[in-house]
Amino acid sequence: MPSETCIAEAGTVTVEPDVQMVTATIDGIALEVPSGTTILEAARTIGVHIPTLCHHEDLRPAGVCRICVVGVEGMRTLQTACTTPITQPITVSTNTKAVRTARRHIVDLMLANHYGDCYACKRNNNCELQALAKEYGVDFFRFGHPTEPKYPIDRTSSAIVRDMNKCVLCRRCVRTCNEVQGVGCLTVKDRSARSQVATFGDKPLSSVVCINCGQCINRCPTGALSELDQTDEVWAMLDDPTKHVVIQTAPSPRAAIGECFGQPAGTSMTYQLNTALKRMGFDAVFDTNHSADLTILEEGTELILRLHSALVKRDNAVALPQFTSCSPGWVKYVEHFYPEMIPNLSTAKSPQQMLGALLKTYYAEKNGIDPKDMVVVALMPCTAKKFECNRPEMCDSGFKDVDFGLTTREMAKMISESGIDLPNIPKSDFEMPFQDASGAGQIFGATGGVMEAALRTVIEMVTGQKVEKFFDRANIVPVRGIEGARMAEITITEVGPVPEILKHLVPDWEWLRGVTLKVGIAHGTVNARRVVEDIKAGGPFSECHFIEFMACPGGCLGGGGQPIPTNAEIRAKRAKAIYDLDEAYAVRKSHENPIVLQLYREFLTDGPCGHQSHHLLHTSYTPRGKFIS
Amino acid sequence: MLMTGQDQEQVIINELFKSHSRQRSALIPILQALQVGHGYISEFAMQYIADCLNIHAAEVYGLATFYHFVNTRPKGKFIIRLSRDMSSMMKGAKVVARQLENDLGIRFGETTPDGMFTLEWTSCIGMNYQAPAMMVNNEVFSNLTAPRVHRIIEDCRQEFSSHRPTVGNVSETYSNTTTYSSYKVNAALTKAVTMTPAAVIAELTASGLRGRGGAGFPTGMKWGLAAAAKGDRKYIVCNADEGEPGTFKDRIILGKHADMVFEAMTVAAYVVGSREGIVYLRYEYSHLRPHLDSVLTARRQANLLGDGILGRPGFDFDIRIHMGAGAYVCGEETALIESLEGRRGEPRNRPPYPAERGFNNCPTVVNNVETLASACCILDRGAKWFASMGTDRSKGFKLFSVSGDCSHPGVYELPWGITVDQLLDTVGGKGAKAVQVGGYTGQLVPARQFDRKIAYEDLGIGGSIIIYGQDRDMLQVAENYLEFFIEESCGQCTPCRDGNVKLLEGVRLLQSGKCSNRYLNDLVSLSETIQLTSKCGLGQASPNVVVALNTHFKEEILARPVLGN
Ligand SMILES: Cc1cc2nc3c(=O)[nH]c(=O)nc-3n(C[C@H](O)[C@H](O)[C@H](O)COP(=O)(O)O)c2cc1C
Ligand code: SF4
Ligand code: FES
Repeated sequence: MPSETCIAEAGTVTVEPDVQMVTATIDGIALEVPSGTTILEAARTIGVHIPTLCHHEDLRPAGVCRICVVGVEGMRTLQTACTTPITQPITVSTNTKAVRTARRHIVDLMLANHYGDCYACKRNNNCELQALAKEYGVDFFRFGHPTEPKYPIDRTSSAIVRDMNKCVLCRRCVRTCNEVQGVGCLTVKDRSARSQVATFGDKPLSSVVCINCGQCINRCPTGALSELDQTDEVWAMLDDPTKHVVIQTAPSPRAAIGECFGQPAGTSMTYQLNTALKRMGFDAVFDTNHSADLTILEEGTELILRLHSALVKRDNAVALPQFTSCSPGWVKYVEHFYPEMIPNLSTAKSPQQMLGALLKTYYAEKNGIDPKDMVVVALMPCTAKKFECNRPEMCDSGFKDVDFGLTTREMAKMISESGIDLPNIPKSDFEMPFQDASGAGQIFGATGGVMEAALRTVIEMVTGQKVEKFFDRANIVPVRGIEGARMAEITITEVGPVPEILKHLVPDWEWLRGVTLKVGIAHGTVNARRVVEDIKAGGPFSECHFIEFMACPGGCLGGGGQPIPTNAEIRAKRAKAIYDLDEAYAVRKSHENPIVLQLYREFLTDGPCGHQSHHLLHTSYTPRGKFIS
Repeated sequence: MLMTGQDQEQVIINELFKSHSRQRSALIPILQALQVGHGYISEFAMQYIADCLNIHAAEVYGLATFYHFVNTRPKGKFIIRLSRDMSSMMKGAKVVARQLENDLGIRFGETTPDGMFTLEWTSCIGMNYQAPAMMVNNEVFSNLTAPRVHRIIEDCRQEFSSHRPTVGNVSETYSNTTTYSSYKVNAALTKAVTMTPAAVIAELTASGLRGRGGAGFPTGMKWGLAAAAKGDRKYIVCNADEGEPGTFKDRIILGKHADMVFEAMTVAAYVVGSREGIVYLRYEYSHLRPHLDSVLTARRQANLLGDGILGRPGFDFDIRIHMGAGAYVCGEETALIESLEGRRGEPRNRPPYPAERGFNNCPTVVNNVETLASACCILDRGAKWFASMGTDRSKGFKLFSVSGDCSHPGVYELPWGITVDQLLDTVGGKGAKAVQVGGYTGQLVPARQFDRKIAYEDLGIGGSIIIYGQDRDMLQVAENYLEFFIEESCGQCTPCRDGNVKLLEGVRLLQSGKCSNRYLNDLVSLSETIQLTSKCGLGQASPNVVVALNTHFKEEILARPVLGN
């Protein structure tokens, strides 16, 4: 049965089994830590708080901001707690005059180069610099404070805004872009006080290889990086009585938005959110999970067709493995860095775009609404969705299929503005026709979720048996997990009859009997890159049939539009919320979603990958390459 | 067939890659080679090179903008870089600068409209003995005066129109490197190979030799650590980045005793078990390159480098020269390693130390030029002989680069432990107001402390002595130092990057008599923070001058009349 090969997630520490223990004394408290533990980690275990700024759990230590300095006996200078491993007995003091003065000075120096008015900043009350200033008792600008901005704000990107006036050069964005995402769009240019976070040739973000994943925003301690805020535009639509404004919500924001309202990570707000959105004036609220289910059927069918061509027709030209295409950051990554792999991308649109297209056609028609008066908003965990909905090819309904992609953070702001106390309002349902979806659509939010949803459907359709027969409670655990790149295999030992919906495409399943289906999963583009390189080199991933790629670490739940901060623990809690909800759904398989089936009966009548769905639910890609002029 | 500019660049780059490996460590050499023919590195070239090396274009951009001697924009055919170290300033660099500006009709930082000349300041080029000095492209001209630079510019124009290369003009530096001069080349190597590596390490340890690059780390111990470190590959790196303002002794050693340096590297390779040595030579010393290359070739021919050295099977070692690209901080050993690997020269976090994990994450010995030369003498004459000189904790002798207000500047070989006074006597610098011992990162010693000893016990130093006469303005000195540190800071850590800017602003306030006593105290306190919290020695030492001013010259710096109203 299923087997797994793993590539460790970037940045994870492998603890050797027989690590030595070392004694440390921190502020007079003695403790034992495994050799190699940093002073920072050790201090945390005994409740000694050492301030940090350039440090981020998802990133390799940089040791550049110097705020975390502590005294170490026997050392002439102070040492950075975030980078110094304890490998021999050590005596540390974190609360000396020198340390306190140093912290003050370092904050003072950062403030002396940080132009920005806290009141007018998106990160007001959620800014690490502001917090440090408060914690370390900044009472005046000892070394001055800029009164004029030095740099123009880069608003050229449809997803990300860069305001270098607020940058404190912690380099977390640069490290994210390179270490976690492998995009390499951001770098540090120049040296000395002139050094600056920059793109290639200082070009605007819209013209470089940025994939809009927004991971840099999630790790920016200040307001230097933020999403392109479209809340005012959405308000204008809501305030316009001639507009029929509907919204679709994705699973990940629902599992995370509570964090913006003081709830612990992993608190699901799905149904409170419905109430809030209605109160704010949206004419209808729909569940994106439906189009996730639809994606499974379209993408799954596409996979079956590709496999059929490859295995039965022996067509060598067919591109395998098939790559998922629902992560717009990943899609742009392929367009820039691996344009030659575009044929491997599924042509299926992402759930956001599929639902948009259906809302402006199927829903509009059904409800007698002129699609030109319709505004479709999508609540997404993702900044890249903003770019995606602006792609010129995403107008298959005859209009822009989705008008606005809002991030979780933007929505939290709108809800606050509306005076709605999200955690404490009653729950309500989604609107027909996109009301109750399936748990399969729900788990799209977590890495491995698309694959699991797809497998639930493929297994049932091909074997004619219940998934539960093979996997306890339909939880396909082998594809779950957090490893950055992983593989699983499922051997098809029995086949059943071809279901009605696919009959026109394949005569029978005999050709799949005994076939071992190999699937791969990668999240975080640096891992995606490893997988693609492996494929190109003919490695194990090249034998996969289907690979799920998510640009963001953890999948959508770790998206660039999600609440800040982010770390592995927060992402794990969001994932748990998502998987728990899945188990609570009555329907947990995409092909059993009654609304999807109804759609194929009423509207997409020539079935998955048929003419109508090709027109509305599939798309094409643009080879961009990485050379820019 | 008609080729576009980009096609041509592509052809040139492909050609360059034939003689360079497609590894990131080839990045800087490739950029330098491309620049020779092309003048500057275009955006297309950066992207194409990135593609060839399978790295991101933005990384190449980040690297190219880090190094002074990589041009990302077109510059003049002749790039004139005038050294702005304190010795140059004291000897009239400002007058020379004005002459250059007048002759060329441009200001510093600009290029003449005809694209012939670019004028820039640069950090110390190691010519303090013959200050002021400047570089025209790779050629060095020293002992400049206004009429001389006028002539140099005329010559450049003529040489260009007649397609003759510009040739630098450097006069001899006074030096009395007597011990090195009497050394018989290869004495150490032939002896070392008859000893066990452990015995060589023991000998060095017994001699008490400490690194001459400034940090003073015991050399025997360093070799021992690298010998004990696990690794298939190990590297011997010679730090010839000599960028400390006022230091030029390594240049003299490389010019006169290069064999000793290569020989000691070979001994180190024998001891540590290394097959590859690298000399990181500062770009400003490009004029030494042909000489060094010829010495290396001769050593290869004499079977002193290459495979089976001295006929000993398995003793394989060779040395290559890697040019720096204009960054003082790359003298710091971990920044140097980053630079060797084809990255921005930003110091690393320590631990791990290079002896454990250095170049390509392999055990790496980084030694200063002088350290290596001294190691040869020690192995030849014995640890006892060496340890009999100097003081308790500072054994042996040392080369001092002396410049500034004295009658006999130059390179002096002197034993450790002499006082500043004795040194001033030797070099004709009596009556000085202050002496900078150990370069800009060292100590500014006022006249009343001239009885202090030059030794690790008191004033431990890398080798530069700058003498300030009675009428030198200490605030100008501090301004010059801080400008240097600000320019040369790699910029990664907050205190060094931003703190020094505040110190410089403070010094300028003092100059204009507008700095309150209270703010001066703030600045002194900030100086302590910068010293304590910076990642590398550059930041840690950069505020020394402010602290020294406050301690020794407080009257002078606070007694400024307020200018104007
Ligand atoms: C900012 C800075 C610049 C340095 N520049 C040099 C240099 O130019 N040459 C050198 O040998 N060491 C330089 N060092 C010291 C090196 O880091 C290192 O200690 C030395 O090369 C080790 O060799 P040694 O043990 O033989 O002295 C510098 C250190 C710092 C912090
Ligand atoms: S102290 Fe200065 S030069 Fe050294 S690492 Fe920090 S910023 Fe760079
Ligand atoms: S948090 Fe340790 S140096 Fe920035």
